Amino acid sequence: MKVRSLIIYTIMIVLGFLWILPIWPTVLLAFKSNQEFGIQRFWQLPSQNFFGPNLIKAWNQAKLGRYFINSLIYGLLGAWGAIFLSSLASFSIARLKVKGAFGWFFVIWSGTIFPFQIYLIPLFKMYISTGFYDTFLGMSLFYIAICIPFCTFIFRNYFLTLPGEVLEAAKLDGCSNFKVYWKIYLPLSRSAVAVLFLFQFTWIWNDLMFGMVLTRSASVRPIMVGLAQLQGFRAGSGTDIPSLMAGALMASVPTILLFALLQRYFIEGMRLTTAGE
Amino acid sequence: MVGEKLSSYLFILPALAMVVIFLLIPAGYTVVVSFTKWDGLGIPKFIGFGNYFQFVRDHVFLTSLRNTVIWVIFTLAFSVFLGLLVAYFVNRIRLANLFKSLFYIPLTISAVTTGLIWLWMYSPDLGVVNTLLRLLGFPGRSWLSEVPLNTYAMIWAWTWKTVGMNMVIFLIGLQTIPTEPVEACKIDGATEWQTFRYVVFPMLRTITTVVVAMSLINSFNIFDIIYVMTDGGPYRSSETLAVSMFRESFVLFHMGYGAAIAIFLSVVVLFVSWIYVREVTKREVHY
Repeated sequence: MKVRSLIIYTIMIVLGFLWILPIWPTVLLAFKSNQEFGIQRFWQLPSQNFFGPNLIKAWNQAKLGRYFINSLIYGLLGAWGAIFLSSLASFSIARLKVKGAFGWFFVIWSGTIFPFQIYLIPLFKMYISTGFYDTFLGMSLFYIAICIPFCTFIFRNYFLTLPGEVLEAAKLDGCSNFKVYWKIYLPLSRSAVAVLFLFQFTWIWNDLMFGMVLTRSASVRPIMVGLAQLQGFRAGSGTDIPSLMAGALMASVPTILLFALLQRYFIEGMRLTTAGE
Repeated sequence: MVGEKLSSYLFILPALAMVVIFLLIPAGYTVVVSFTKWDGLGIPKFIGFGNYFQFVRDHVFLTSLRNTVIWVIFTLAFSVFLGLLVAYFVNRIRLANLFKSLFYIPLTISAVTTGLIWLWMYSPDLGVVNTLLRLLGFPGRSWLSEVPLNTYAMIWAWTWKTVGMNMVIFLIGLQTIPTEPVEACKIDGATEWQTFRYVVFPMLRTITTVVVAMSLINSFNIFDIIYVMTDGGPYRSSETLAVSMFRESFVLFHMGYGAAIAIFLSVVVLFVSWIYVREVTKREVHY
């Protein structure tokens, strides 16, 4: 018995050490000056707090501030837009007895099954020829579209678990379909909305590939593209690593906050998507 | 009530139109492009299966395919295995919640940030890994420029990011397992390994299938972390299919060839997903 828990503790402590190993020095690095970074060992503390100057440098010179705001808008618009459109469609598919309901669902859901690479080339050409390329509108519309299939999958399953009598009763009282959706079904699915907001906002916030392909100018580019372009380790071009790390930490704040606030819903969401309940 | 009937279709229309215009039509068009030679500007030239035949002659593609297979296998071996291990052990130690948060943190940050962090960890002169190795008396290595070491180094960075996700899913699975059989094993004097192997693990089968499938699909599509850490280099030695597709299409402007790689990748991923769906539905019938 004792040997067993000794083994378990050893394994967990070794793993715990390996997992904290990258976090602590990275955070420390964001507080150092570029000079200190060059001469100090990774565990040494900075002589004074350089986080502010580092962040300001990343924020202004590297335009991370602009990218940050762009992504915030994409995340909010994309997640809410997709949640609204897909919950409306799912309500109809699951509850309104439309003809070929499963067929419609299948077409929308099929947007989740392909690797993202399959959309890139035609989207790029389509965006160039329609003038959507490198525009706020084009990016927002794309992010809404890419989030719809998964949201529809979750909402349809969720609405099917809600009792159908509510709809019948409300319709007898003369409510329109939209009113039933807006006043009854949407408020009832608050936890699904929370799960999807967390998942979709995070997805949009973390997107690198579509941001790279569909945008060019700083006023439109999302945050991860900005971050990825900042790194100059490979090229050895003498990037200011501490300010890069300060920027990277700042760029992680929205998703870390979301996960912290909605942790309960994250677990719930994983249960919904994996256990198929 | 004609209006009401019509409204139910109008509700579906916007979502459907968005998916069809932005996703399904492009997906279909990629199939068409994959049969052409196209620089993205001029007129595409139809070459039939030419791009697909090119795969076997192109050593960059073959390297990329091999790397993708390595990614898939080793993410399974590291990330899924460690996720299960941590989920199984974490509730039996003190400070369980502290440990859970520790594994949970990397999943809240992006793949790009993960790449940046590990780029620094592995940096040859000042990096944490080499500093520690030198302290212990080993020589440092250039983790991201030696082949095939760079691929394994990136797989470890990805493992660091994804174990938390697998842990969460396995913890959900472990919660659904009834406690009586496990207790009965202990009373009957079964060893830790026997209990796990013959009682716990079989009951985790469905959830294991889910984790394995998710991990497979994610590692087939791996892109961000490689783009940030090595950009597929040096000399295109650490590319995977997703990275090759991007480079061929948007750096070299071989759009027809890039489209063919995208289609190849999609067929592989769809095949894996199909097997997974078949497995899961088959099992549900047995319950």
